[in-house]
Amino acid sequence: MFDFVRPPWYTESMIAQETLRILTESAKYDVSCSSSGSGRRNEGGIGNGMPDGCCHSFTPDGRCVSLLKILMSNDCVFDCKYCMSRRSVDVPRASATPEEICELTVDFYKRNYIEGLFLSSAVHISPDHTMEQLVRTVKLLRTRYCFHGYVHLKGIPKADPLLVSEAARYADRMSYNMELPSEKSLKLLAPQKDKESLLLPMRQLRRERDVFRAEKRKGAFLPAGQTTQMIVGASPEHDGQILRLTESLYRVTGLKRVYYSSYTPVVEDALLPAVQSAALREHRLYQADWLLRFYGFDVEELVPEEEDLPLDVDPKCAWALRNLHLFPVEVNRAPLEMLLRVPGIGGRSAQKILSARRYTALTFEHLKKMRVVLKRARHFITANGKFYGEKNTLAVRGLLAAGEREDAGARQLSLFDTPAALSAHTGEL
Amino acid sequence: MIYFFDGSKAAFLTAFLLAYRDEDALLTTGSHQLTLGQKSVFVRADAQKAARCEQRLLQFDEHCMRDLDLLLRSGEEMRGQTAFLYFRMIAARKRPVRGELAENAVADASECIRRVKLEAHRLKGFVRFMECASGALYAPLSPDNDVCDLLLPHFCARLPHIPFVLHDVRRAKAAVWDGAHSFLAPLGEAEIVLAADETAWQSLWRQYYASVNIPSRERIRQMKGYMPVRYWKFMPEDPSAAIGDLPFAARNASDAAAQDGAPHPRGSLQSPPAPRRP
Ligand code: SF4
Repeated sequence: MFDFVRPPWYTESMIAQETLRILTESAKYDVSCSSSGSGRRNEGGIGNGMPDGCCHSFTPDGRCVSLLKILMSNDCVFDCKYCMSRRSVDVPRASATPEEICELTVDFYKRNYIEGLFLSSAVHISPDHTMEQLVRTVKLLRTRYCFHGYVHLKGIPKADPLLVSEAARYADRMSYNMELPSEKSLKLLAPQKDKESLLLPMRQLRRERDVFRAEKRKGAFLPAGQTTQMIVGASPEHDGQILRLTESLYRVTGLKRVYYSSYTPVVEDALLPAVQSAALREHRLYQADWLLRFYGFDVEELVPEEEDLPLDVDPKCAWALRNLHLFPVEVNRAPLEMLLRVPGIGGRSAQKILSARRYTALTFEHLKKMRVVLKRARHFITANGKFYGEKNTLAVRGLLAAGEREDAGARQLSLFDTPAALSAHTGEL
Repeated sequence: MIYFFDGSKAAFLTAFLLAYRDEDALLTTGSHQLTLGQKSVFVRADAQKAARCEQRLLQFDEHCMRDLDLLLRSGEEMRGQTAFLYFRMIAARKRPVRGELAENAVADASECIRRVKLEAHRLKGFVRFMECASGALYAPLSPDNDVCDLLLPHFCARLPHIPFVLHDVRRAKAAVWDGAHSFLAPLGEAEIVLAADETAWQSLWRQYYASVNIPSRERIRQMKGYMPVRYWKFMPEDPSAAIGDLPFAARNASDAAAQDGAPHPRGSLQSPPAPRRP
């Protein structure tokens, strides 16, 4: 009944199963999964952007599958100690052609398996050669395959700045991964990279994006901005240092997101810890990051430079416990900024409270009915003058920590506010 | 008095007019068990009355019909009553009540609407198409709420040149895009001929799904929280196999979901159903 003819240029170059396995297994440790931030329109062809992002599946490790995360090649000339594709290890090597990547993307996309492509690569032959291959692929995907879905492109450090600019015309988002939170650790563990080789292109992209916007030029230039990723637990930096770097990256390079990845040992090396670092630490960093970006917190309020975030309670609870003189707040009067600082009250709950209290004086009963989670919040609020929490600080801390343990496993679900915040990495609280 | 209605908007509005002043009114679409002495009436849609009722309600709240549409799509047994209590409050207060979340009627309605929207949002990601030999795409789904046509604008915008069918197998209907028009149509059983390379793409996808998982960080509760088990059965990546193969029955969260079987991708997509504008 339908006659959809395949476009004549379609070459039917289906990637081999084994190549796919090799190129995706090495890409999976990049934790950035988001497909949000781009409203790219369909201009004939296939696909468009969904500004809120979209999760297509979830793997048993609880992570969302949104993009086809794949390397062009895992055959690397660099030798980063923490990486399973480093030059000095003996693993099966593979590379894919631009056509194979494009067809895989389009065929997965039209079956609604994915929201787009996350293309990365090991440094194959040279940084310039690798970057050229990446740019060629995305350009092909956009122009010949007419694909308007989401594309996240990983930048290769030390590649020609012209290639970087060209890439940005076709990708929705680019990222240069900091990987390690200090120059010293970078020198030790990723000897061919340095801070400047990562920061330079980031600054270049920010500058060019500003110009592009100021001049209202046609087309798109990284509509979803830039992100980066840091490995947590492979090197000795404290959470305080990591978050300060995060804050300055948001400020200086205008990054959209910083991702944190718990260190997982995939190769043995005397310079690296042999054990996986705690997933809970990664989670606390995401929570703190969320507080910085959306709740108006300052890094100084959260953790001193030479310390880690507490593990027993989340960073907002920890802050509230240090500032008990500010609590309890009356939900019928507190301004939005203060409601957002109450442990357990997230953006959605705060909005509900603001809306409902215009009509009536809210009681605890009302809050329950409105599905505001009170387990933590009750120690920090009064509703219509009534307080149902625990007054003793130590007891509160105990209760909050016990609540955390109960939640473990389903940790984020109770905090789940908007469907768009489905990512396991949001850290909203 | 119990007012039975067929779940349509017109029948609801007709019933609403009848029931508005009845303190003990219960509006329902289901098979409600009558207790002794309880009176009931089956309300048929009356186009004129419904239009009058709609006009009146729109004067109080210009967006309220959007809420009604979503409420009536809900798969919850009590949707009729939830909608009734919410609209009775709009009518009593003669203004929008949407923000008054401390009221039971509003809280229930807004929760019901949230669930319908959440499912539509989730399905934008969880729908899986198969490619037919003709090049058209076919996706079976079995949503809790009646949302398959809510997905049409989303997929039309991203696949404008590829005809596709979103088949709600539980309600035996389909939302169709033929490359030029979108419409809703009744569709019982679909027989489809798969494209020659469809199984190969599915197996590449299964390979991908297996490769990106990090087994040392297993968090199955979280996985199931984000992607409820009832959506798994039409996914070629077969998440249940990935976590150690559950028996098929256990994959269905609700009885209704257990009833509808997966269509067999064989034969041909028969007699295109007569177009009916939604
Ligand atoms: S550049 Fe470093 S991190 Fe990247 S693939 Fe090569 S060895 Fe691995």
